[in-house]
Amino acid sequence: GKTTEPSKTNEGTEAVKTQVIKVAFNQPENHPQYKAMQQFGEKVFERTNGAYKIEIFPNELLGPQRETVELVQTGAIGMSIVANSLVENFNKKFSILGLPYIYDSKEHQNAVFTDDTIVGDLFKSTADNNFIVLTAFHAGARNVYTNKAINTPADLKGLKIRIMESDTNIKMMKYMGGVGTPMGQGEVYTATQSGVIDGGENNELIYANMKHYEVAKVYSYTQHLMIPDLLIINKALYEGMSEEHKAIFNEEIKNATTAEVDLWEVDAEVAKKTAQDNGAQFVYPDIKAFQESVKPLHDELTQDPEFKKLYDAIRAKAETVKK
Amino acid sequence: MELSTLSGLIMLIAVPVLLMVGVPISVSIGLGSTLAMVSILPFGNAMITASQRVFTGMNSFSLLAIPFFILAGIIMNNGGIARRLVNCAKVLSGRLPGSLAQSNVVANMLFGAISGSGVAAAAAVGGTMGPLQEKEGYGKAYSAAVNIASAPTGMLIPPSNTLIVYSTVAGGVSVAALFMAGYLPGILWGLGVMVIAGIFAKKLGYQSAEKPTFKAALSVFIDAFPSLLLIVIVIGGILGGVFTATEGSAISVVYSLGLSFIYRSIKVRDLPNIFLEAAKMTAIVIFMIGVSSIMSWVMAFTQIPNLIASMLLGLTNNPIIILLIMNIVLLVVGTFMDPTPAVLIFTPIFLPIVTQFGMHPVHFGIMLVFNLCIGTITPPVGPILFTGCRIANLKIEEVIKQLIPYFIVTAVVLLIVTYIPSLSLTIPKLLKLI
Amino acid sequence: MEAIRKIVDKVLEFICIAFVGIMTGLVSWQVITRYFFKAPSAISEQLSKYMFIWLVLLASAYVFGKREHMSILFIKEKFTGSISMVVDMIIELIVMAFALGILVFGGYKNVLLTMAQQDSALPITIGVIYAMLPICGVLITFYSLCNIVSIAKGFSDREVPKAE
Ligand code: NA
Ligand code: NA
Repeated sequence: GKTTEPSKTNEGTEAVKTQVIKVAFNQPENHPQYKAMQQFGEKVFERTNGAYKIEIFPNELLGPQRETVELVQTGAIGMSIVANSLVENFNKKFSILGLPYIYDSKEHQNAVFTDDTIVGDLFKSTADNNFIVLTAFHAGARNVYTNKAINTPADLKGLKIRIMESDTNIKMMKYMGGVGTPMGQGEVYTATQSGVIDGGENNELIYANMKHYEVAKVYSYTQHLMIPDLLIINKALYEGMSEEHKAIFNEEIKNATTAEVDLWEVDAEVAKKTAQDNGAQFVYPDIKAFQESVKPLHDELTQDPEFKKLYDAIRAKAETVKK
Repeated sequence: MELSTLSGLIMLIAVPVLLMVGVPISVSIGLGSTLAMVSILPFGNAMITASQRVFTGMNSFSLLAIPFFILAGIIMNNGGIARRLVNCAKVLSGRLPGSLAQSNVVANMLFGAISGSGVAAAAAVGGTMGPLQEKEGYGKAYSAAVNIASAPTGMLIPPSNTLIVYSTVAGGVSVAALFMAGYLPGILWGLGVMVIAGIFAKKLGYQSAEKPTFKAALSVFIDAFPSLLLIVIVIGGILGGVFTATEGSAISVVYSLGLSFIYRSIKVRDLPNIFLEAAKMTAIVIFMIGVSSIMSWVMAFTQIPNLIASMLLGLTNNPIIILLIMNIVLLVVGTFMDPTPAVLIFTPIFLPIVTQFGMHPVHFGIMLVFNLCIGTITPPVGPILFTGCRIANLKIEEVIKQLIPYFIVTAVVLLIVTYIPSLSLTIPKLLKLI
Repeated sequence: MEAIRKIVDKVLEFICIAFVGIMTGLVSWQVITRYFFKAPSAISEQLSKYMFIWLVLLASAYVFGKREHMSILFIKEKFTGSISMVVDMIIELIVMAFALGILVFGGYKNVLLTMAQQDSALPITIGVIYAMLPICGVLITFYSLCNIVSIAKGFSDREVPKAE
């Protein structure tokens, strides 16, 4: 992240030293988060008069997510977009952000992520580890898909659903009525086809892009997880900015965070259309029973008063964004 | 010159210089790339990043298949499995001209279908078939050339360690898809060798064997059946989603070990040595993979592939010519470099270029590995050539003249593989793997 | 030095053999638990992966000791006599520089950096896993020293005429 080169864009005026910030990203260029970061980069470059240039490296070019955290820590690269769970490994409190059914809607989630009184301290809590969380991006809602409609927890009974590998996810699926089966994303298609599992749970993009609709025809909007991805930045890089630049970064990243929700929605609609055209069926269960079923998980994770405080603040925000 | 270009140049000079001096390939790649990194990052950060990359490069569950396939290969080599496959191949190709040589090719393909390495096939099958052919009056160099020319098919016919390596450096291209893509090119290579071997056998008057009785053929098949079943279990298991390639490789170890115990060709007290041998061979391959991920990081960071791409595209933007240039580069590289390091070095350079004009990563992987397979049978560095000659007790110079027709036929098949994508992609597409 | 080397060899051989055996068992067990018992084992995949990395690092050091890592020899083979010994020694020094700089120094700093980072599946920190990097570096350095000594010995054996 320390590479500097003279800016070539401000023609006429004296050359400004441009600091290039390299951003590691694990998804391709057409991902909503990539697009949002690109917009962010353009805004920042413009408003800082070329002092900062954002260079995004998609497709895991700079390494898998966990390892890029270390690269950000040392300052070998400036920023990285990583899964929430990776930052949980530094501060367990981040797991609150990924609790099942903690947000009522994506609007609620966005209101939380752009409210410094709720997430401000949390995002700075990793400063001891030489990085800071700049924002949390919406990464879709995960919904269950299998070969029958899931309207109630009883519908999930006995069904083996592929989940991401974690104890919380295994418990969550148990509370929701099913049997959580962790395995790699790439194996879901064949495993469902051959009956090793009964389906999966993921956002519309994965469901459509990986053609899972061919083997699991009903996509039920259980909306159980809305786990964000976090944009992290090297601490020295962030703290080395002038107050003015820092303010620009903070403001523009909030704009990008909100813009990304809409970008995501556009892609999700396209994905949904693709799946429907290929015979997939979308159902909208009443999620109240599911919300109730995972309450024990909430109670388990909020025994620590500090955790409870964050949890309550997030839940309180729900009231202010009621449609 | 931009800083990143400079650092890329440091790497492009330092790595070959170290290689030529005879420094181990892993260290040459690692040290050369780290020198480049020092020019763009503070020293401490460069060292941390380099050491982290060594770890990252190895941190993949699919790489775990490699030690298991290596281990299974060693066990099959010692386990009476190879002998049964050879018998089976003899029945399959008995009526063709030069039947024993033809059997050698078929046996190499069968052995390749259960093992991940071509060297193991050259040793196990060549060791059994060579003496038989000598007894029938076949020329020693002729037999050795056929064995050498056909052994690399095992690296294209799944399972294949080289394809697993490619899958990892190419950023997780599906191993199952690559495996399925390798079948037709691998078989086509084998058929090409059989045609040439047949033509020469006719000319030299090598007889075809007598037709075995049905009863004899049946008993050979029954005897080989448990060994052949391994193909179904491993490949079928991977395709059916029962297990991953990695798990399949472990099953293949357990299964071949079980068979070898039943055949009493391996005893429990042999195991420590077999395990140690597997550990050493694994370390040689995987350490290189870990270290070379320093290089791929520097390439991504400095965007060297973009530079090379624009140079190449400055010459021509005709995909046919670009692929031809790549094939020539890879064939030259393959003459003096083993497949694994060549895959590690050239995938990050070439793959971004070919995907720009729409080549499928699976197709490119097959083309790349096919190229490097040819390299395994050419001097000055040819592991299968060396093994085949050693097994036959011949000097390389004695065999090389016999090999020339096979070089030509494999080069022709290479062109077919390069320019007819469906040869590689049809099976994976039918199975919905891509 | 030769005595220590023999002991280190034996210990590494034992560990490598044990790791290969255990890993085969672990991964096979994973297939069984997932397919036959339908109870997925979340940690066995991570555990076997880390064992694999440790195995590779330890076995690599062992192979460096035996000087059996893949290298391009057809140019080096042109050298003979004392020049070839000098080249051999330079190669060992380069290997040592690699081991000390990247594995020992870089690896050690990496361990410090990741001591606070929890692993996602196992109850350990990433730093513990990374600890094998500097250990491997130390082992390679040790073997390189041993190799230099034996190269030098071969050198002096050749140069010094036998006392009659
Ligand atoms: Na094979
Ligand atoms: Na060669």
